[in-house]
Amino acid sequence: MTNIQKIILTTTVLASPLFSQVSEKIEVPYVPYQVKMGKGFDEVQANCLMCHSFGYITNQGKQSKKFWREKVDKMIVHFKAPIAKKSADIVTEYLFEHYGNGKEQ
Amino acid sequence: MERRDFFKKAAVVAGAATLGSNSLEAGITKQPVDNRKVSPVAFPEKRPLIVYSDRPPLLETPRDVFTSALTPNDQFFVRWHMPDIPTYIDPDTFTISVNGLVKKELNISLNDLKTKFEQVEVTAVLQCGGNSRSAFVPTAGGIQWGNGAMGCAKWKGVRLSDILDQAGLTKDAQWIGFNGSEKAAYYETPNFIRELKLDELNDSVILAYQMNDEDLPYLNGYPLRLIIPGSYSDSWVKMLSNITVTNQYKKLFFMDVAYRVPDNETEGETPEKKFPKTKPITKMNVKSIIGYPTSETILNHKSEVVVRGVAWDDGHGINKVLVSIDEGKTWEEALLDSGELGRYAYRTFRFSFKPKGYGKLKIMTKAINTIGEMQPLAKDIPWNHGGYKYNGIDEVTVEVI
Repeated sequence: MTNIQKIILTTTVLASPLFSQVSEKIEVPYVPYQVKMGKGFDEVQANCLMCHSFGYITNQGKQSKKFWREKVDKMIVHFKAPIAKKSADIVTEYLFEHYGNGKEQ
Repeated sequence: MERRDFFKKAAVVAGAATLGSNSLEAGITKQPVDNRKVSPVAFPEKRPLIVYSDRPPLLETPRDVFTSALTPNDQFFVRWHMPDIPTYIDPDTFTISVNGLVKKELNISLNDLKTKFEQVEVTAVLQCGGNSRSAFVPTAGGIQWGNGAMGCAKWKGVRLSDILDQAGLTKDAQWIGFNGSEKAAYYETPNFIRELKLDELNDSVILAYQMNDEDLPYLNGYPLRLIIPGSYSDSWVKMLSNITVTNQYKKLFFMDVAYRVPDNETEGETPEKKFPKTKPITKMNVKSIIGYPTSETILNHKSEVVVRGVAWDDGHGINKVLVSIDEGKTWEEALLDSGELGRYAYRTFRFSFKPKGYGKLKIMTKAINTIGEMQPLAKDIPWNHGGYKYNGIDEVTVEVI
């Protein structure tokens, strides 16, 4: 809560004079996403949240295990995220358990 | 339409034969998710918008903004690909470099751009290729946008061709690579670079430093971005820092893997059998969106309602917008604005009527462009794995009391 108030305050100050947007650093607010804690979350934190917010994950909706596996693979293959095989398995399990639709495929 | 039905049937038959009925799932297309709530957290220079992610920032414009031809800067959608966006760029020291196969390398300051080149303006729609992606079932990977990953602005800047002329292209120049200043967390991650073929570039392509008479908002690419009217926004590189001219196409993730659709007539495929060959999304298709009313509007059956919205395509120009208030049985022509903002801009439309009954009322709009292309019904749009180029007939259901 205090976080949000601080951010809104900063935004107001930044937005007031016209054309002054780069007279100082902009601050992209931090959005606290609701995270489901559980086995494997530390791997998510270490391997996923380096590059993107948790919102990026939950926005996909509830998905199959195959879907999540493919997303993790995409991060490794295309975005070159250095995720070890074992961590990739744990992350996939976590995603499927908490944001899964119950289907393997 | 028939073709699509064939594909659907073919997928069902093939699926049933090989995989058993459990994994049967033909791709379908429905109305995108509508009217997600705006977030209480406002981003720099923005009003509260629909927030998907803070890092990288992903913000969507709510539907009710789409009643006017120009989208206000503080409500304009935001889409970045990488987590690390510079948080400060000094306009006094910023330069754009032009290098590669040129006779003279250039480093142009913002001030030189504004004073030493002809200044031009173009009003053009900026739309993400994945706008409305939430229409596709099963989920197509990517941000599950509603209809608001788009906007239209008056862009001011300098023609790309004037800059290339000043640098002087060498004879073997063929490709122009553009990169922005956003950075990935890992060095190995591909940079966000776009390459355009020289012959794809016309005089409407500009490097813009102003949007709707103000500096570009930071999150929309301050201080300079590429404007390619008629094309989807994946090519409109933000925070443009470098232009490199080459004679050879470099393989790039954001051009060779992302932002591509099946390279067949319908641009469709099934989740089980993805089409092997793909092509870039490039030009926008014809589309209209209702800005008023929205699903939250309550109408009185005795009073008149003016439906308003916007329509656009890739620059052929909008010919008509048709409106139906009887589930698509009959269609009537809406009034279009004068079109004075040009062929790449939103064309606003309006349509007045008095609701006759009570209860739920569905309003549908269908745009047709000058070469006769029209919006299909959502269900007739073939599924594609990237969830690109949705342009279904728009629908808003309101309550009449």
